[in-house]
Parts: sequence; C-alpha cells; structure tokens
Amino acid sequence: MKHYIESLLHSDDYQFLGLFVSDKTKEQGVFILRYLFYDIKNKKLNITEIDTRKEFPHIDIPALDWYEREIHDMFGLVPKGHPNLRPLMLFPENYPKDFHPLRKDANLNIEYRGYEEYRYENFEPEGSFKILVGPIHAGIIEPGHFRFTLNGEPILKLEIRHFYKHKGIEKLAEGKPVEFGLKLSERISGDHSLAHSLAFVKAVETIYGIDIPPKAVYVRAILLELERLTCNINDFAFIFQDVGYSFGAQKVFAIKEMLMRLNEALTGNRFNRGIIKVGGILKEIDLNIVKDGIKLLKKEYLKYKKLFLNSSTILERTDTTGKVSYETAKKYAALGYVAKASGLYFDTRKIMENKLYGPLIKEFSLKSGDVTARLKVRFNDIEESFDIIEEFISNIPEGNIYKEVDCKNPQHSYSFGFEEGQRGNIIHMLEIENGLISRWKIRDPSFHNWPIIQEAVLGDIIADFPLINKSLNLSYSGNDL
Amino acid sequence: MFNVIKTFLKEGIKTEDLSSYNEDNIAIYKKLPKTLKGSLNIRHIDCGSCNACEYELTALSNIFYDIERFGIRFVASPKHADALTITGPITRNMYKPLLDAMKNVPNPKVIIAIGDCAMDGGIFKGAYGIVGGLKDINIEPYILIKGCPPTPKDIINGILKGFEG
Repeated sequence: MKHYIESLLHSDDYQFLGLFVSDKTKEQGVFILRYLFYDIKNKKLNITEIDTRKEFPHIDIPALDWYEREIHDMFGLVPKGHPNLRPLMLFPENYPKDFHPLRKDANLNIEYRGYEEYRYENFEPEGSFKILVGPIHAGIIEPGHFRFTLNGEPILKLEIRHFYKHKGIEKLAEGKPVEFGLKLSERISGDHSLAHSLAFVKAVETIYGIDIPPKAVYVRAILLELERLTCNINDFAFIFQDVGYSFGAQKVFAIKEMLMRLNEALTGNRFNRGIIKVGGILKEIDLNIVKDGIKLLKKEYLKYKKLFLNSSTILERTDTTGKVSYETAKKYAALGYVAKASGLYFDTRKIMENKLYGPLIKEFSLKSGDVTARLKVRFNDIEESFDIIEEFISNIPEGNIYKEVDCKNPQHSYSFGFEEGQRGNIIHMLEIENGLISRWKIRDPSFHNWPIIQEAVLGDIIADFPLINKSLNLSYSGNDL
Repeated sequence: MFNVIKTFLKEGIKTEDLSSYNEDNIAIYKKLPKTLKGSLNIRHIDCGSCNACEYELTALSNIFYDIERFGIRFVASPKHADALTITGPITRNMYKPLLDAMKNVPNPKVIIAIGDCAMDGGIFKGAYGIVGGLKDINIEPYILIKGCPPTPKDIINGILKGFEG
C-alpha cells in the first residue's frame, strides 16, 4: 500500500489533495486514513484507505510531512519512522503530551500551564546568525513565527512555526447541527468566507444527495467570482505597497473597497456572509448592480495593470524574487496560483466542474515561479473572473433559487465538498450521524502552500521577504484552524 | 508623473464623511485619556480571529476612510503604542505573546476590543484551543466595537467616541 501511494505522489497524472482521518474505534475498532488524489487523466477521484489502530506508514515526501505530524497531534497515531515528529498544532508549552483532541474519547478539560519546551531545528553553520520574527508582526497581519538563518545578506534557511491561532474548530463542530457548521465555516478564513461555506454546503448536499436548482448554481458561481476578484485585487494592491509604490497601492485598494461595497449592496454583508444555505441561496439578489459596477472596475483595473507592467523599477524588485521551481511545487503538492506560476496546473473549476465553466477558464500556467509570475497568474484570474461574471449574468437561467430539502437520510457515510477559492482548492470532509456533525475535516490550500515559503526565500535577501510573503499571501487562520 | 497628477486632479478627493454609523455596535467602558486625542498610536494584535477583522482594519487606511486624518496611526511596536486593538478569541497559543506585548505598552494601556469574538470568544466559545475572550482573562477594554466583522465606519467612530466618554 505504501508503495502504491508513493507512486501516485510522484506521478504527474495525479494531484495529491489531502490526507483525512476519522476515528471509527467505536464502530469498527480502527482509525481510517484516506489519501485523496485526483486522477487528472481519467477525471475522477482516487481514494486510498488504510485502517490502523496505532501506527501507519511514513512516506518521505514534504507534501505529507505536516499531515503526518498533524495526525500524530490530533489522534495520537504514529507515522512509523518519521524522523521529525515534533508537535505541530498543539504547542508543547500549552498542551500535555498525551492530549489528542480529535479522538472520540478525548478529555478536553486540560489545565493551562507550561508543559514542555519546543525544539527548533538545529542549524548553525559557522559565521551564521539568526533573525527571529513574530509571532506578532509589524503590520496588520495574523500571527506566525519565522526564524531566518543568514550568513551576510542571503537567507540560508527559514524555519516557520505556525498554528498560533489554533482554536480547535473541527472538534467544536462535533455533535452540533449542520446550521452551526455553516455559520462556523464562514469564519474559518474571513477573506474566503464564501468559498469555505460553499465547500461545506457542497459536502452536506453530497451526503444527502441534493441537487440544487440551476439558478442557484449560477448565483453561487457569480458570488464566488466576486470574492476571488476582491482577494486578487487586494493581493495586487499589497504587492504595489511592498515594492514601495504607494500611489498604485492606494488606487488599487480603492478598487477593492468598491468591490466590497458591491458585495454589501448585493447581499447586505461586505463578506457575503449568511447568503448561502443548504439547498441553494437565501434570497433573490439584484444582479444588475454587478453588471454596471464590474464594467467600471475592469477599466480602472486595466490602467494599473499597465502601470505595473510598464515600470522597470517595480519589475526589478519582483523578477526572479521568491523562485519556486516545478520540482518544489510538485513535491509539496502546491495548489492555486503558487502551483500555476511554477508550471503545475490544478483548478477545481476547470478540472472538476468543466461543464459549468467550459472555455471561460483557460489552462494558464507559467514556468518562472517568481513574484512576477504569481502576479501574472493573478492578472489572468482577475480577467477570467470579469468574463465569467459578465457571461453568467447574461445567461442566468430562470427558476427557483432554493429547493426545500429533507435532511434526514444520509446516502453516504462520508462526503467531500470541493471548491476553488482564490488561494486554490478547498476541501471539506464531512461525516454526519443522526443529523449532527460527527467528523469535519477542513483543508485550506494554505496548509499545502505554507511550507513552500521556506524554499522560496532561499538565496534572497531579508528585505525581499515581505514581498515574497505577500505574493504567496496565505491564510494563517485557515491553516491553523 | 504628469499622468499621476492628472489622475488626482480629474478624480478629486474620495475621502468620505463618516458621520453615519451604527451606534448600537459601540460600547464604551472607560473614557480615553484626553492627552491622546489627535495623536493615538495603535498596535494591532490578532489573538486568533478569522482574519475578517484584519481585512477591515487594513481598509481603514484606504482613501475612503483615511484614518490618519484623525491622528490615529498603526505603529510597528507595542513600545511605540498608546493603545492595543485586539481581535479574535484568545487562543492558548497566543495568550503568552499577548501578555508579553501588553507588558511593553506604556501606561495608560488603552485596550480596544474589535469584533464579537474579542470579548467572550463569540462563535468559538467552548473550543478546547481558546482561553476565552478578554472577559475570561480579566482585562477590561476601554472600548468594544461589535460586529462580525465590524464595518470600518463603526471602528473609526467607536475610537473617536471613546474620547467623548
């Protein structure tokens, strides 16, 4: 089994999507590990299951490193032969060693006190020094710890330590109704409120075998593109800011603000929260506002794209900075724009839902893998989003936006919900028992892409780090859960 | 450069009047010291939020809201700050860094709680990974701005109202 999974991980025809574990000790006496791949050639999911009581095989590839450490923390299962089995999510300073919260029999009342010290990697070549950054950063961003080892100017090594924001969302939802899960899913990663709630709702709809009306499919897709647009424009503005070009930054931030106001005019919430429900969407929305607004913003956006690409001083900063090679992207199973900028292509909309999008999405990928490439992928995404919104608004089918659903008889024991957020593929695995959530695993693309930053900064100078970090722009909250 | 100046002249000033806001979303527990009026330096600390609050806090500096016109600035170090803004439920892993940062803020330490989670944990109440909200760790904020997330207008008006008491 181990060799089979290894061969899929190294194959170019398979995209590794995640490793999901459920505690089935009560029913079957085992834990079930599910390795999820997507077979790109035959266009279908490939799920490989391993049952275990205590140990499971360790596979030596960076893409699985965090997954295996996470499972060790959460379930107490041991990846046999893992060389670096330090705690990942549950900091040894704050949690006891034998605390495994996602086990069904876990005792969650633990005392808050110092337990053990965390062990950082031992890397001190002669003449090197360290710069420690975080967890609290200088800007208005989320907390995380970065340890740079330098020798002179270039960065020799970066070690990241995340999960400062670990709240225990997955455990919190256990035993709660689906409505609570939906509300919580909007608060996994705030800027991706809609994408996460859609992934969750899709998982619920698969479990109960619900088909939603075509109009709801279109409205959901339009709202999703609006969210993607907001995030991409926001990233674009931050890149302007981090190269020190504040005129461009402020102008593009203004576009982002107008997009958020467009959201508010549409659904009453700047993050489009509370509009999605199981079976469709909550209320009719007036799409004419979008049509006019989008045209104006597109014109505005194109001006600043031109400004960016015509400025040699800006491109001087972004070209060849933060390089991620194809091999690196592959071994970490990169997702989203990080993958697309390095020659690896996986887009949930194109590959899994091509019927809806068709030729509106092109298979766009670049090879150079630097900050400029990631921005160019975003430019392509932005323009596609504009096209998709315009096309969908003019072709929207008539009919209901909501279907009465009967959430009583689950048709599957578990299900996956997929969605393409702006950062990449989002997956929610869901198990429901007696109408209540019994296991919910959330996988944000940031979980795959965060470790890549450790390789992207190598050889660059520390002043480029903010720029590289922004060009990857990953979620801490969606990663830490 | 000429194009840049032309754009400024053509588009005019976009900064808005912020007098309309929702008063119910603002709770003031203590009056802000008068000496800080017109020059309030803020250090932001995210203790475990979903990052929507951060999204709105970054929006405060855009040209529509332009928070710096009221003399309110975000600074890089707690040592330079008069006030701390706190978002999110306080996670176990962020509790110690928060206390460390608070130690470094000179007195009077003005605490501004932003968002529904900051006070009592909000939707995350009961999760094993959180210590709780500010209420649970016995820190009384000067101002609480409610909302999930609060709008930029409410945040700015909340801070300004804090000076009036």
